[in-house]
Amino acid sequence: MLRLFRAASHAWVRPPVSRVLNSLAEDSARPAESSEPGVRAGLLDPVVRKCKHLIPAHRRPVQAWVESLRGFEQERIGLAELHPEVFATAPRLDILHQVATWQKNFKRISYAKTKTRAEVSGGGRKPWQQKGSGRARHGSIRSPIWRGGGVAHGPRGPTSYYYMLPMKVRALGLKVALTVKLMQDDLHIVDSLELPTADPQYLTELAQYRHWGSSVLLVDLTHEEMPENVVAATSRLKNFNLIPTVGLNVYSMLKHQTLVLTLPSVAFLEDKLLWQDSRYTPLYPFHLPYNDFP
Amino acid sequence: MAALCVCRYAGRSWLWNVPLATRRDFWSRSRKEKEPVVAEAVEEVKREPVLVCPPLRSRAYTPPDDLQSRLESCINEVLGSFPPSNWQDISLDDGHVKFRLLAHLANDLGHAVPNSRLHQMCRVRDVLDFYSVPVQDRSKFDELTASNLPPNLKISWGY
Repeated sequence: MLRLFRAASHAWVRPPVSRVLNSLAEDSARPAESSEPGVRAGLLDPVVRKCKHLIPAHRRPVQAWVESLRGFEQERIGLAELHPEVFATAPRLDILHQVATWQKNFKRISYAKTKTRAEVSGGGRKPWQQKGSGRARHGSIRSPIWRGGGVAHGPRGPTSYYYMLPMKVRALGLKVALTVKLMQDDLHIVDSLELPTADPQYLTELAQYRHWGSSVLLVDLTHEEMPENVVAATSRLKNFNLIPTVGLNVYSMLKHQTLVLTLPSVAFLEDKLLWQDSRYTPLYPFHLPYNDFP
Repeated sequence: MAALCVCRYAGRSWLWNVPLATRRDFWSRSRKEKEPVVAEAVEEVKREPVLVCPPLRSRAYTPPDDLQSRLESCINEVLGSFPPSNWQDISLDDGHVKFRLLAHLANDLGHAVPNSRLHQMCRVRDVLDFYSVPVQDRSKFDELTASNLPPNLKISWGY
């Protein structure tokens, strides 16, 4: 500990800091005044985020760079530790499929309806006598084998495809999706979603410069705290979408190529998803009030 | 047509009452108004050069020949002391040390450790192994997407 403290104090005093600053200033091509304080702050105070929840002894936390959207070059301003049970679960593709199909189908109500032979108007009377006319025998003109007749086994009325997967399966789906995004280098963690301008061009250029992908899903904590610049920029762009953390879902994560989470939203997700692993079975549904937890 | 109109109005008395100097001012007023506007536009453009996108970089990386010496100098700067003989076994458990070392190497060599492999970098030896592997841009499609395309041309490469 003391050795590290001494090393840190050496790093403050020594010229290597200025050498690194110069190299970074050359790389960025920004005016020296604005780059130095920002870079100095990043070098001396990296944003190191530790996981609040207990990590099992046999597992190590996964890590990710903390980036910033304030400048093109600010790609590594800190290091965040992520809980392995949320960001390093087994890659259960079957769970992803289940949850994505559930999301697509549970809202579906198909309104298709056809008339049966009883509902089509007419057809109560036997068209011709049973025997003697030489024609085939028929009982009504609206039977399914007749033209204009009813449909035998067609769709009957609005049908609902509603079903609910167990809560823990849906939570596991989110954990698996986050794992897959991280392990395929499509997850980026950002300290906050503050942009220098509300210009959508800036956001597209940033994503292109950092090789993010063609579609990006930005996740902030709540609607009220979203900065105006991001809201304005994303409202004018089709492939950049901004959602609160509560709206994160497997289908959107698979639809967008890149996922950008803020540090507060990572904490929120870890809270909510890890609680599911160690909770009691409910005595009454969770949507009714409990006095233990919100 | 314009010349005819001018000849018609030249007969009017109100034009001859106005002195010549002010008539020149009257006709040249539009020119004077444009100059300050041009100056303001130039100043506004100069206020925001910061948001120009830097040139796109390719993801190709070839390890330099002096990789080990560069790594040793990085450790020297980050830890502040000369690296010991077993510098490859230095563990990177501390977040600050790990961040400083990896960020310094990334800025130096132009190639950063991706998020998926950060948790595998436990010791300096792992970092050395990572940086000694060259990375190539996979296909011509990736190269094309990295270059400056016109905005209405999109390349999608679905596996």
